[in-house]
Amino acid sequence: MEAGRAAPATSRITVEINGTMYEREVEARRLLIHLIRDDLDLTGSHVGCDTGNCGACSVIFDGTLVKSCMLLAVQADGASIETVEGLADGELSPLQQAFSDHHALQCGYCTPGMLMSATALLRDNPSPSDEEIAKAIQGNICRCTGYWNIVKAIKVASGQEVGT
Amino acid sequence: MLLRDVGYARPGTTDEALGLLAEHEGARPLAGGQTLINVMKARAAAPDVLVDLNGINELKGIELGSDGTLEIAPMTTTSQLIASQEARARPILAEVCSQIADIQVRNRGTVGGNICSSDPTNHLPPLMVAIGAELTIAGPSGERTVPADAFFLGVYMTAVGPDELLTKITVPPGRSDGFASVAVGRDGTCIVNAAASANAELRVVLGCVSAVPEIVRPESADPDAVRSAVQAAQLEPPSDVHASTEYRHALAEVVAVRAATQATERAGG
Amino acid sequence: MSETTVAPEQTEVEEATRETWSGQNVPRKEDKRLVQGEGVFFDDVKRHNMGYVHFVRSPYAHAKIRSVDVSAALDQPGVYGTLTGDEVATLTDPFFQISSPPGAHLKDYCLAVGKVRFVGEPVAAVVAETREGARDASELIEVDYEPLPAINDARRALDDEAPVLHDQAGTNLTWEGVFEWGDLDAAFAGADRVVKISELHFDRFNSTPLECNGSLVEYNRGTGQWTIITNNQFPGFAAIMMGPAMRVGLDKLRFVTQDIGGGFGNKITTHPQLVACCLLARKLNRAVQWTEWRTDFHLSMSHGNERWFLDTEVAVKSDGTLLGFRTTALDDAGAWLRYEPLGGVIWAQVTPGMYRWRNIRLDFRQVVTNKAPVSPNRGYSRMQHLWFTERVIDIVASELELDPVEVRKRNYIKADEMPYETPNGCIYDSGDYAKMLDVALDLIGYDGLESRRAGAEQRGKLLGLGIGSTLDSGTNNFGQSRLINPDLQFSGNNEVATVKLDLFGEIVVTLGTTPQGQSHETTAAQVVADILGCSVDDVNVRAGHDSYWNSHAGFSGTYASQFAVTGLGAVKGATEMLAGQMRKLASVVLACSPEDIELAEGQARIKGNPEAALPFMALGAIINANNAGLPEDLDVTLNCRYVYRPPFEVPDIERKYGNLTLTYAAQVHAALVEIDPETGVYEVVDYAAVDDCGKRINPQVVEGQVMGATAQALGAATHETFPYDEDGNLLTPNFYDYHVPHALDMPPLKTGYIESASPFTSLGTKGMGEGGGAGIHAVCAALQDALRPRGRPIVHDSFNPYERVWEMLREPDASRARVSVESR
Repeated sequence: MEAGRAAPATSRITVEINGTMYEREVEARRLLIHLIRDDLDLTGSHVGCDTGNCGACSVIFDGTLVKSCMLLAVQADGASIETVEGLADGELSPLQQAFSDHHALQCGYCTPGMLMSATALLRDNPSPSDEEIAKAIQGNICRCTGYWNIVKAIKVASGQEVGT
Repeated sequence: MLLRDVGYARPGTTDEALGLLAEHEGARPLAGGQTLINVMKARAAAPDVLVDLNGINELKGIELGSDGTLEIAPMTTTSQLIASQEARARPILAEVCSQIADIQVRNRGTVGGNICSSDPTNHLPPLMVAIGAELTIAGPSGERTVPADAFFLGVYMTAVGPDELLTKITVPPGRSDGFASVAVGRDGTCIVNAAASANAELRVVLGCVSAVPEIVRPESADPDAVRSAVQAAQLEPPSDVHASTEYRHALAEVVAVRAATQATERAGG
Repeated sequence: MSETTVAPEQTEVEEATRETWSGQNVPRKEDKRLVQGEGVFFDDVKRHNMGYVHFVRSPYAHAKIRSVDVSAALDQPGVYGTLTGDEVATLTDPFFQISSPPGAHLKDYCLAVGKVRFVGEPVAAVVAETREGARDASELIEVDYEPLPAINDARRALDDEAPVLHDQAGTNLTWEGVFEWGDLDAAFAGADRVVKISELHFDRFNSTPLECNGSLVEYNRGTGQWTIITNNQFPGFAAIMMGPAMRVGLDKLRFVTQDIGGGFGNKITTHPQLVACCLLARKLNRAVQWTEWRTDFHLSMSHGNERWFLDTEVAVKSDGTLLGFRTTALDDAGAWLRYEPLGGVIWAQVTPGMYRWRNIRLDFRQVVTNKAPVSPNRGYSRMQHLWFTERVIDIVASELELDPVEVRKRNYIKADEMPYETPNGCIYDSGDYAKMLDVALDLIGYDGLESRRAGAEQRGKLLGLGIGSTLDSGTNNFGQSRLINPDLQFSGNNEVATVKLDLFGEIVVTLGTTPQGQSHETTAAQVVADILGCSVDDVNVRAGHDSYWNSHAGFSGTYASQFAVTGLGAVKGATEMLAGQMRKLASVVLACSPEDIELAEGQARIKGNPEAALPFMALGAIINANNAGLPEDLDVTLNCRYVYRPPFEVPDIERKYGNLTLTYAAQVHAALVEIDPETGVYEVVDYAAVDDCGKRINPQVVEGQVMGATAQALGAATHETFPYDEDGNLLTPNFYDYHVPHALDMPPLKTGYIESASPFTSLGTKGMGEGGGAGIHAVCAALQDALRPRGRPIVHDSFNPYERVWEMLREPDASRARVSVESR
C-alpha cells in the first residue's frame, strides 16, 4: 500500500509459512492466529485465552518467537513464519520425539506453542539450564503436565544429561 | 477477543507517521501491540486507524555516546535491549526488562510502548523516573524533551499528545541502581514495584501505588529513613483483586527499602 | 527438575525382557499427531458456509429482562439469524433437575428466560458469516433490563432481605440434607478435648483447561438428527439433559469428539450452549460454530464449589485419637443447578477422609447465588471435604501440641484393615497410608527439617513443612443421586468398549470415553495386546468418541477418575470375548478344542505345535469374507461389544448408607514452604508426591496425572480465585487477572509410588487422576507450620495469597479467634 496513506479496511497480504507462500485478502482487524487457523487451515497453533497470556498461539515470526494472537494478520505481510506443522521433516524432530519420550504432553493443546518456544530457545541457547528452559516457556501455559516433563524433554532434546 | 473494524497504515518514516496521526482523529500508534491489541480485543478502546510503527527504522536502535549516555529509540524491543551491548552502560535497564512477562512479550513489546502506555503496574515508568531519563517527543509543533518526572501524567496518560510520538529516550550513565517488586507469580504483573538510583542523591520511585510513579527522596538508604520517606508521601494505593490498599502500603515500604539498599550497595561497591 | 522414586521395580521397556505390556511406559499413540499439530480439536473442524455464533451475555448479576430486540442485528449484512429466550421457551422444555424440591422447581433453559441471574449469562445468540461479524452484530442486540439486588455471598443468601433468585423455588436454599452416622453423643462424652472451629472456607476457583468449550453443530433435515462436534467430556449426561429438553430421542443427538484440550470436569455442563447451537442449526439450516473465549468461560462456566464448614466440633482424646466430628457445610452452587446438587452427596464417598473416626455428622446446605453456575472440577466435592478433614487434623495437632505426623499415623486407616467399611458404608478397597506418608517424608528429607528451618531463619525466612493426604475415589455408583432425590432412577455405572478383528487382521478398539489427555488410546492398547498376545503397535484404537460407533452407554464419558476401572474393564471384557471367539474359530479350522489354542505373536496356534497356526488375518478373513462351511451353531462374529458394570447396590436412602465408589486411590504429599515475613510472599521450595492407584498400566501416564494435579493444586493454593464485587462482577475474568502457574512458578518435585491392587476391579487398577487437592492441603499445612513461631495463626482458608499470609503474620489472633479447645 502507499506509504503515508491509511489503507482501506481490507488489503492483500503475502506471507510465507513453513516455506509455502500464501496470498490472502484480510481485514486489518483480523488477528494473525485467525489468519493461520481459519483462513489458511493451519490448525496446529491454538487459542487458549483472550489476553495474550497463554502462548498456545506461539509461532516464530521472522526468526523471533511471538504470540500470534497479539499481531494483526496485516502485520505479517512479507513475513516468514514457522508453525508446528513445519517442525517434522518426514520424521518427528528430536524435540518432538523428546516430548513424546518424556510424556511432556497429555491433552496436547499447549504443545504446538511449547514446541515453538522450545525451538526458538534451542536456536538461541543450545545448552540451556533448567531455569533458562523454564524462563523460555514462561509464556506458555500448560494445565495438564505441571511443566516438569516439558522442561526435561527440552533438556534431553538439547543433548544434555538429565536426572533420572 | 475479536477486534472492531479498524484502518491500518504502515508508514516508513516518523514524519509519515506523524502525518497519519494528524490526518485521522481516531488514529493511534501501534508499537509492540502487547498492550494495545489486548485493549482492542476487550473492545475497551477502538481506534479508527492503527499507525504501525514497526516499519520505521529511525525509531529503532540504541546508541552509546562517548560520555556513556544512552540514546534508546522507542521501537527497540525489550529483548533487543536485553541483548544490547550498548545498554550495559546502564545495567539496571536489562535487569528490569528481563522481568517483564515472557519472551514472546519481550520480543514484540517495546521500550517506548512500556513507557507510553503508562500503566501503573508497568516496570519502565518508575525506572525511567528513578534514573532521570529524558523523553524526546516529536509532533506538529516540532520536537521537545521532557524529563521523566514530568512525563507521566495519569493512568494511560503521558506528555505525548494524540498527534505526537515519543522519538528518543535518553539515559544518563550510571550503575548505582536498584529495583525490587512483588508480583503475581514469577515475572508476573507487579503488585508493587520500586526503582531506586543512588548515582546522585538517592531517589526511590514507587510504581503501582498511584496513577503515576511516586518519587520519594529519603535522607539515606537506612531502612528507617526510607520507610519514613514512603510514609511521608501519604500514598493512597489502589485496592484491587491482587492487593488491598493496606497491603500495598506495607509492600511499598518494603520494596522501597530493598531497591534503595540495592542501589546504594552498588554505589559503594 | 523432578525425580521419581518407585517402590516396586520400574523397568524400561526392552523387547527381550518384557513380560506384559501392562506396567510398562509404552510410548503414547496420541503423541504422533499431537506433537505435529495434527490433533483435531472441535475448533479445527470447518463446514462450508458455516455460521459463527456469538452469545449476548448479561451485564447484570440479577435483573428482569423486559425485552430483547434483535432487529438491528438482523439488518446487518452477513448476519444469518438470532435466537432469543422467548423462542427457547417455546421450542424447548426446561432442563431436567436432579434436585428434589425446592431445587426441582428451577426452570433452566439454554438462554435466560424472563430474568438473568449472573453476569455473563447468555441472553441471546446471533449467527453471522464471520467471527468478527457475529461479535459486531451482538452489539446491536438491545436488551432492556430492570436491575434487581444481587446476592454474592452464600452466607447472606438466606437472610430475610436476601433477593430470591428463583421464584419457582421460593428460597435460595435449593437443597439440604443431614448426614449422621455412629454415636455423636457417645463420642463427645468420651472425648478428652473438644476442638471447636467456627469457620473454615474452601475457595471458589476452577481447573481452567487451556481449551475452552465449543462446538460445531450440523442438522440433517432429512433424518432430524444433529451432529454435535464438540469437546463435552460426558456425552451420556449431555444427552440425558438435551434430549428431553429438545423433545427428541437420544438417537437424534450424535456426539463426536476427537481431541480435547483438557477437561478436569469443566466440560460436563455445556448442554445449554449445545442446545442453543442445535436450535440455531435447525432454524438457519446451516452448520453453526461456537467458540467460547476465555472471558466467556471464566464468567459463565464450571466454577468450583465454594464451601464453608461452620461450627465444627471435633471430639478427640488427649493422645490425638480422633473420635468424631460434626459440622455444617454451606455450599455455593452459583445461579443454576446444572450438575448440582450431586455435590451434596459426592463428598460422602470419603466421609472420614483417610481416618478411622466413626462418629460423624454433617449438615449440608446448598444455596444459589448470583454467580456463575458451578460444575465438577478436578477433585469435585471430595476435594473440599478432604481439605476439611486435613485442616481438622492439622488444627487438632497444633492445638494439642502433637506432631501432625504422629496424629496422622495414629488415626490413618491401617493397611490390614482393608477393605475398610466407612461409617456410611463405603468400602475403601486397599491402601497403606502410613507407608505412603513415610515415603513422602523420606523424599522431602524430613530428617533434615530442623536444620533446614534453622538455615531459613538465618536468612530471615520462615520455613514450614505440611502434609496433605487425600483420596481419589473413583467409579461412581450413581445410586448416590437418590440420597439427593429419592425419586431419581439412576444407579450403578457403566462403560463400553468394542474390540473387533477385521478383514485384514486389523485389531480395532472403540471406546465410549472422551479423553482429554489421559492416554486412553495407549493404555487400552496395552490391555488388548496382553490378552491377544500381539504388539501394542498392532492394536488400533479409534481416537475420541462418536455416538455412531454405538460403543457407549448411559454413563459414558471421561470424568471422576474411573477409566482404569470402567474403560479398561470394558476393554478387558470385550477383548476376552474376542479372544474366546478367536480361539473357538481357530479350533474349528485347526480341528482341535478351543482350550488347545493359544494367542501369541499375532497368531492363533495349537499349544505345543506352533506349525499349526493361523495369523489373525486369516481369522478375520474367514468371518468377513470366506465363511461358507462353518458350523451352523458357531457363535463367532469377531466384533465384540462389552458393557462393564461395576458391582453396586442401590444405597440405603434412609440411613444414607452404602458403597458409593468402587475404588480409592490415595495420594500423600509433603510441601516445604518458605515465607518472607516482611511481605507474606512465600515459595514452595521442595515438594514430594506419593501415589497409590493400584496396578499401574502405564507408570509414566500415572506420574503425569500426579504432576498435573499437583500443579493445579499449587495454583489454587496461592493464586487462583474467583472473587466477585458487590455488583456481582467477577474480578478475574481472564488469564491476565486469574493467575495460573507458569513454568517458573513450579517447585522441585519428587514423586513416589506404591501399588495396592484393588480387589474389586478386573485389572487390579484404581481410577486416578483428579488428585483430591493434595497440594492445597499440603500448602495450607506448611504455611501453618511455618507461621507457628509467630503467634500460631490458624490457616482457615484453602486460598492463601501473599496478602492473607501477611495478615496472619500481622494479626495471628484474628485467625486464632476461630478456634477454641474445651477440656472435658
